[in-house]
Amino acid sequence: MQNLGKRFGDFTALADMDLTIGSGEFVALLGPSGCGKSTTMNMIAGMLDPTHGDISFDGRNMNGVPMAKRGVGFVFQNYAIFTHMTVRDNLAYGLKSQRVPRAEITRRVSEIAELLQLTPMLDRRAAGLSVNILQRLAIGRSAVVEPAIFLLDEPLSNVDAAFRAVMRAELKSLQRQFKQTMVYVTHDQLEAMTMADRIAVMDHGKLLQVGTPLDVYNHPADTFVARFIGAPGMNLLRGRVTGADTGLTVDLGAAGHCPLRAGQGGDVLFGFRPEQVHPDPAGPMEMTVTTVERIGARTILHLAAGDHSAKAVLDSETPVPDQGEQFRFAVTPDDVRLFDAATERAL
Amino acid sequence: MTDMTSTHPGAADLHTDTALHEGAEEKRLGLWLTLPAQLLVLFIALFPILMQIYISLTDWSPLDGIPWYRAYELWIGLLNYADLASDPRFWSALWRTCIVMAICVPVQFLLGLGLAILFVDDFRGKRVLYSTILVPMMVVPAVAGYMFFMLFQSGGPVNDILSMFAGRPVTIAWLSDPDLALFATIVSDIWQWTPLMFLILLAGMVSVPQDQQMAAVLLGASWTRRFFTIVLPRMKTIIIIAVAIRVIENFKVFDNFYIMTGGGPGVATETISIYIYKVTQQELIWGYVAAIALAILIVLSIVSALAIKKLRGAQQ
Ligand SMILES: Nc1ncnc2c1ncn2[C@@H]1O[C@H](COP(=O)(O)OP(=O)(O)O)[C@@H](O)[C@H]1O
Ligand SMILES: [Mg+2]
Repeated sequence: MQNLGKRFGDFTALADMDLTIGSGEFVALLGPSGCGKSTTMNMIAGMLDPTHGDISFDGRNMNGVPMAKRGVGFVFQNYAIFTHMTVRDNLAYGLKSQRVPRAEITRRVSEIAELLQLTPMLDRRAAGLSVNILQRLAIGRSAVVEPAIFLLDEPLSNVDAAFRAVMRAELKSLQRQFKQTMVYVTHDQLEAMTMADRIAVMDHGKLLQVGTPLDVYNHPADTFVARFIGAPGMNLLRGRVTGADTGLTVDLGAAGHCPLRAGQGGDVLFGFRPEQVHPDPAGPMEMTVTTVERIGARTILHLAAGDHSAKAVLDSETPVPDQGEQFRFAVTPDDVRLFDAATERAL
Repeated sequence: MTDMTSTHPGAADLHTDTALHEGAEEKRLGLWLTLPAQLLVLFIALFPILMQIYISLTDWSPLDGIPWYRAYELWIGLLNYADLASDPRFWSALWRTCIVMAICVPVQFLLGLGLAILFVDDFRGKRVLYSTILVPMMVVPAVAGYMFFMLFQSGGPVNDILSMFAGRPVTIAWLSDPDLALFATIVSDIWQWTPLMFLILLAGMVSVPQDQQMAAVLLGASWTRRFFTIVLPRMKTIIIIAVAIRVIENFKVFDNFYIMTGGGPGVATETISIYIYKVTQQELIWGYVAAIALAILIVLSIVSALAIKKLRGAQQ
């Protein structure tokens, strides 16, 4: 995708997106609702024409190629299963449309059905099947025509939370089996983190960062990505970098200060992961505990000091202060991420 | 329905719906409380039909000077029905009505479907055209009859237009020729009721899930394949409803036919409704009319029952 953009009237749904997806790669488009993920997918599939920019598959420009000819597999949010047909007819639909010989259709349909454990229900009507079967059927229906690229638009958003974990694992193992190039749209960072080879984080029609899940988690390109990735997201405190005699530190006002490894003087947003808070009675930072959330294996502290607020995630074994008490802690200089106070980009 | 007090069908319904919340006592009380209302509804719904059945078994006519409830004095049993079975004019009117239906409904269906296909996609001037297409449906059928009566006069616009194409004066006597008269009346029906078919079919077509159609296209389906494997099967319910409405309405066709031709020339355009009207108004043998009406009611009930059965099948 080069310089890809889409406007609906005056509204820019997608601005200048550049993204290259490798063959066999699983890329997640991650962003809040309305950020242009579906728009991007629909343009890849050819359901929407880009306002500007190019989409190429293997170097072949796809602009103007009708969607029936693109060889794109698309799994819709609600799977769009043909409920008036049997499972078998659903699976065979693409091959029949492409006038594949009958014997080959039969062979390929039974192969894919076997692979996806759909064989027992081949002759059942697709209406009234359970969601995980529908998901497998939707994937099988697209996979059987061997598309160049597979697009999935929030396939798990209609599934209840308990089931989602099962479906995630199933989806990932299917992708490994097929070695398919997949683009997976989600607003759920957990899905993106657990399944994708690379994550493309989007907001307001802009592609903010592309990288492996760890990359995006550890080195967010800007404050949006920092806050969006991780549960809870990264803490960001306004501060000022000063070069005192003991070395470089960031002065956080009411919350204390923190030594830095590198940096330049000036206003910054001081970022650290809630998981990387180390309780330390002699630590240089101090904040007041406003709420204590105990969620099984972990305890989340909500902290405040002056204008600052932050969260800390601790093991449940760690002794924690009560609500209203002061909490002293330290953050290792290696774990600190600094962002420009004005542009909010990583420094 | 009639043995309601002995078998309590109402109570049986309650049993399946609300058995968990209500005791048997309350159910019985509920039934007794609603019984008068239920009987009243039944009476209102069934009275005209019961009266028809009663009259149809007599030789009663309003001219006899006997009130309708004393029509039993002219009891003739099933004689009216026997007459009906051997009444050639009845059978030919019935047959003609079926022919009209067999032409009108498919033509209206195909035209309506074609228009619906055009109108699911956006194009310039769609809204104006849409409103225009619906106009015939709003015209009072009697007025439509007059319009087509004028159009098909031998000096009327239809012949004028034909003259233009033929390059010589055409003076076809449309409404005086038996076959052409039937053709002209059928045209008026198609003109008037295609919009309704279009409206219903369009509603059905736009409600075919967009993502299913997209999925079909992405799987490489051509337009025709998508239309015949996704769109049409998904419209099955609405198609059955639209066709059933038109079949039943067409069976009752009257206004425009009567005004255009009065059922003539001869009986060339006499449909079942026109026949009944003539027997009622001109010959005043109401017992016989009641028998015809009941016969038709039975035919239409069978048609409706078939349609409902099909609908049930389509919805599963
Ligand atoms: N056909 C359209 N016309 C106008 N605006 C649209 C259209 N489709 C999407 N949008 C807008 O574009 C933005 C991006 O939409 P979408 O790509 O669906 O977001 P998401 O990331 O949730 O999938 C949304 O704000 C939406 O309102
Ligand atoms: Mg979306």
